[in-house]
Amino acid sequence: MDFSRVELSDSDRDFLHDVRDFLQSQVTEDVIRHDRETGDNFHEGVHLALGARGYLEKEWKPAAEGGFSRVRRRIWELEKRRAHVPWVTWGTTAMVARSVAGFGSSELKDEVLPGVFSGRVRLCLGYTEPEGGSDIATCKTRAVRDGEGWVINGSKMFTTGAHNCQYVFLITNTDPDAPKHKSLTMFLVPLDTPGIEIQGIRTVDGDRTNIVYYSDVRVDDKYRLGEVNGGWTVLREPLNAEHGAVEAATDGLADVSIMMHQGGFMATAVDKAAAKVSQKDPNGRRAVDDGAVAYRLGRSAARLEAALSAPSIFGRVALSQTMRDIAPDLMDLLGTASTLPVCTDGAPDDGASEYIYRFAPLSGIYGGTLEVFRNMIAQYVLGLGKPAYGPPATKVS
Amino acid sequence: MDRYELRRLDYSLTDDHTDLQNAYRQFFKSYCPIDTVRAAEASGFDKSLWERLCAMGATTMALPESVGGDGATLVDLTLVAEEIGRSLAPVPWIDHVCAARLLARLGALDSADIVDGTSLVALDPQEDAGAGRRLIPTGSISDHVVVRDGDDVVRLSFGTRPVKVDNIGKLPMAWVDPATADSRTVVASGPAALVEYQRALDEWRLLTAAALVGLVEETMTIAAEFAKTRYTLGVPISTLQAISHPLANMVITIEGGRNLARRAAWFCDNEPDERPELTPSAFVFMAEEASKAATMAVHIQGGLGVSAEAAATAYLVRARGWALAGGDPAASAKRIGRILAERESA
Repeated sequence: MDFSRVELSDSDRDFLHDVRDFLQSQVTEDVIRHDRETGDNFHEGVHLALGARGYLEKEWKPAAEGGFSRVRRRIWELEKRRAHVPWVTWGTTAMVARSVAGFGSSELKDEVLPGVFSGRVRLCLGYTEPEGGSDIATCKTRAVRDGEGWVINGSKMFTTGAHNCQYVFLITNTDPDAPKHKSLTMFLVPLDTPGIEIQGIRTVDGDRTNIVYYSDVRVDDKYRLGEVNGGWTVLREPLNAEHGAVEAATDGLADVSIMMHQGGFMATAVDKAAAKVSQKDPNGRRAVDDGAVAYRLGRSAARLEAALSAPSIFGRVALSQTMRDIAPDLMDLLGTASTLPVCTDGAPDDGASEYIYRFAPLSGIYGGTLEVFRNMIAQYVLGLGKPAYGPPATKVS
Repeated sequence: MDRYELRRLDYSLTDDHTDLQNAYRQFFKSYCPIDTVRAAEASGFDKSLWERLCAMGATTMALPESVGGDGATLVDLTLVAEEIGRSLAPVPWIDHVCAARLLARLGALDSADIVDGTSLVALDPQEDAGAGRRLIPTGSISDHVVVRDGDDVVRLSFGTRPVKVDNIGKLPMAWVDPATADSRTVVASGPAALVEYQRALDEWRLLTAAALVGLVEETMTIAAEFAKTRYTLGVPISTLQAISHPLANMVITIEGGRNLARRAAWFCDNEPDERPELTPSAFVFMAEEASKAATMAVHIQGGLGVSAEAAATAYLVRARGWALAGGDPAASAKRIGRILAERESA
């Protein structure tokens, strides 16, 4: 057990300062404003700058292959959060690039990976379908053999970042008659292929995602990842990573659960509320001297800290659930002005608590809903058995 | 606070930790089955279990070497407390060690009998020091009672021990009126003494939080096992999400509460001024969650769960009683709020 400050060597300390200064110079107010206006959670200029400095490659590669050492990796993660580097598209890119490295032909790897490291190539996820839900194996988007290539038809929801990406990691159905886990084939589809239409959707937290339509999209067989009908094998590892079912790091140099980045938004909201209620009003009174304010702030902080402590898949549910639980209390204790969003005159916490209130529904569905994870805990941790569902029913509408 | 500070996040236990944990788990498994818990309900105290526990070194471990103890860390103590909660052991260990540690810090632990648990010390664990008659969780079985009185920390003793009152937590609780004590010794006075008293209150909350983690884990486990073997309409009720998801939530509570208590303990042991809000946070979280979880655990077992003989009900009542023994948990929540406000305005 160890929660101490990490002792840094001189060169690691230099690295920390370099990274902090560099990120501060890159993520300017304009970048933040662009992010807010577009909801992209991506900025090409910043992304290319990270690539040019070699940071993307070092983050992606293990230490043995020239990537960051453990301690530098941790510094890098924390400093990116400190600087509010837009993060979503690099997250999907890094994840998909692992599948390309693992399952792509050498030709495809050569086409894709160098651009991933320079920042010119970005990758997004084509998993969920408009009529599907968390069960991504239920896939209606079809890929059909056509000579040397394939023809794809269908549509995908939540292809976040597609408009800033060059390829989509697409789940297709190549055998509608097979059991669903044996019917899937994965492709890395170039997004400039004719027949692809990207439509933006803004979500309530201010982000932008996309619905992507595929109409007679022709792709070469070289863009297939893994075996035909062997898509589940390709998907399993990135899904495990996304679900957060990973072991704790024994050196304490990693988040204890996935979604800790989002947990940070919640911590920010608590800290900003605490700062606000400590200020004196014109009569010299502090809001925190009101027991009802102190109580709600304290209870929220307690629940936050419990969620930040929960490991692995438990932490993932705890963070999303706690965000839902405490955001209303944090807003209440700040009063009416808590309804004012970021950069608004008089916003007491710069919109931090109203943001997590709007963000909480998102964090509880992406990468699988809270119910999916509770099912997993029930089935695999407690051994309660596979959930019992009612018999299949024909859809009414 | 710098939420991006580079610190380790290592919750792992050492081999020594797991040995300690296993030793106490085994001890309570052997000597404190649910029948023993039930048998001690009238007095709230099982003297022979306590003597065995002390013989194992459970009180001496908690005290500094300067007074003849073994100088265990608070992290170590949370491991023991968790096993006490798991087994619902009717022993005043948390109160005794918090009070004895306080006396040791104040230079007033002068009795080997206190170190080895032969002589019991009670603590007034209320966050807001009141005046007059008060409920002391282990007041009916203790030889000394340590309380705050204004700027003084005072040790009281009574010729006749205060009478145990029935209470939902089945604690050896008694009304104690400092004014009627047969002897009253001022142990220490002034701000420094009160700081040490506050530390005792924090330690009491920390160990109570850890005990509630063990309590929730055991009642959850019993409920989960029941659900696997109980069928409705041809399926085990454990496969119904209305049952399985609340059980999953209990596991999440346990995992978060346990790690939070350990992290809080680590900071108390190593950097006590750095995160003073964590100890009350562990307590506020577990105090609220324990009774919700214990109620759901009873509910899952339906008509069998509500029986006074069911283990689930033994957990149900203590989940409330133990959390409330130190007063309204809101006092701790407000304290967290004030600590944070202070920190974030600096």
